[in-house]
Amino acid sequence: MQKLRLITLFALFMFVGQPAIGLVTDLSNKRIEIRYSFNGADLILFGAVGSSAVDPVNDDFDVVIVVRGPEAQTVIRQKAQVGPIWINSDSLTFPAAPGYYAVAASRPLADIASNAVFASYGIGFDHLPLLAITPRGLAAPSSDFRAALFRLQSNQGLFRQEQDSVVHIGEGLFKTDIRLPANVPVGDFQVETFIFKGGTIKARNRIMLAVDKEGFERAAYDFAHGYPFWYGLVAVLVALTAGWLAGVLGGKK
Amino acid sequence: MPLYLPIAELSMNIFLVIGMGAVVGFLSGMFGVGGGFLMTPLLIFMGIPPAVAVATESNEITAASVSGALAHWRRQGVDVKMGMVLIAGGAVGSFFGAQVFTYLRSLGQVDLMISLAYVLFLGSVGGLMFWESVRAIIRQRKGIKPKIKPREDRHKAWIHALPFKMRFRKSRLYISALLPLAIGMFVGVLAAIMGVGGGFVMVPAMIYLLGMPTNVVVGTSLFQIIFVTALTTIFHSVNTQTVDIFLAVLLLVGAVVGAQMGARVGLKLKGEQLRALLALMVLLVCAKMGIDLVVEPTELFSVGEAGSH
Repeated sequence: MQKLRLITLFALFMFVGQPAIGLVTDLSNKRIEIRYSFNGADLILFGAVGSSAVDPVNDDFDVVIVVRGPEAQTVIRQKAQVGPIWINSDSLTFPAAPGYYAVAASRPLADIASNAVFASYGIGFDHLPLLAITPRGLAAPSSDFRAALFRLQSNQGLFRQEQDSVVHIGEGLFKTDIRLPANVPVGDFQVETFIFKGGTIKARNRIMLAVDKEGFERAAYDFAHGYPFWYGLVAVLVALTAGWLAGVLGGKK
Repeated sequence: MPLYLPIAELSMNIFLVIGMGAVVGFLSGMFGVGGGFLMTPLLIFMGIPPAVAVATESNEITAASVSGALAHWRRQGVDVKMGMVLIAGGAVGSFFGAQVFTYLRSLGQVDLMISLAYVLFLGSVGGLMFWESVRAIIRQRKGIKPKIKPREDRHKAWIHALPFKMRFRKSRLYISALLPLAIGMFVGVLAAIMGVGGGFVMVPAMIYLLGMPTNVVVGTSLFQIIFVTALTTIFHSVNTQTVDIFLAVLLLVGAVVGAQMGARVGLKLKGEQLRALLALMVLLVCAKMGIDLVVEPTELFSVGEAGSH
């Protein structure tokens, strides 16, 4: 009995002693509200490496921060020439692609660790695990469709890699900017921070971030999707009233 | 000043949106057309998803048509009975148009259908209108007056052979109800898939096919467009939830102001000149859509709309 307790205590100590305890991060804003004036948001992530396997004062360490938006079914279509015109012919469905994916690092990723390390944690555009619906079930997507997804989402500002850098402030303190564009999807976001030293991961932690429509924007969206017939009817009534008003005001001139 | 549109799910500059409404309103006021055929492509060009552009524009046209129809109503320029028959056809057409729209959207082919419909209808209507107005201008220069046919001869024989004849007093017509029903249905389909009122098809059809007197043509067309675009708005809202009321109202604000100014400029131009200019504009939009279909796109891939929520 005593022995078991000791083991439990030891296990607990081991768990507590894991590098994760030494890493603390927080966001300047953990809940992003989309209102009428929403035009994207800039967040600041602060982090500190404390009493951990990394000695913040003497060691050089690297930070990689990965922000993942809510996953949604995403279809990528490819155009092909049929007769004289270009039409969508081929398509590939990703049942759960993140709607937002950003990787920020203190140095170029290639300098921080080897590809194999990033691959084992699924960090970065090249290693993010993604499956697609194929005739043989879920499988790895063909490279051109996968590349197209990253290219298109990057153009929209939804996927970012090595565009924002993590800044060392000193004494184990670091910070980075997280940019959410205006077309950011709503839902729960994961913000994962990895501390690298000598090419291996020494610590990691995860905090959550929520993006949601608020107030009038939320009400309008819920109304349109929950009661589409009544929403349509209201839209028509608004149009009729506005048109009638315009006609009365215009007619007086 | 950015404004977040909750249904389109993107942020647009409020003054840009009102400005777009004003420019299209100016042109539609000048030429006396609805402007849907200009606004929908413009919205798509500005990055609004095509499904949202079409459904929202239907909503805006309802509003724009009310003020236009009111003015014609005061001048007794609406044949309500004819309008009702056209609406009955339009309701059926709009319903099926919205179904086709929803189905093609799930296949990822809705952009293609919109482009093809624009190229086909704007091309043919614009071409005919341009040819007709140029001929009128040439005739006027030469001083030839076109012969006006007596009203009784304006219908082709097959039209008189159709059953279910109805009397339309205001239009002074006694013709089969099948013809306006079919025209209404056709325009309803166009309204649902193109985000237009369909006046550019309706007005020529009323004049040349039905033989309606010109003083009731525009008013009746607007009267019909109110109801058909209202139904289209509801169908799209139920099927795809793509009607953005905020976008529609902002566009309308601009359109109301623009249309007033456009109408004043329009009065200073001659009818034939106006029609030739309008035809050129229609052909321009058609050409832009056509070129985009034929030229190899720089980006062959696109992110589909379906399942984006």
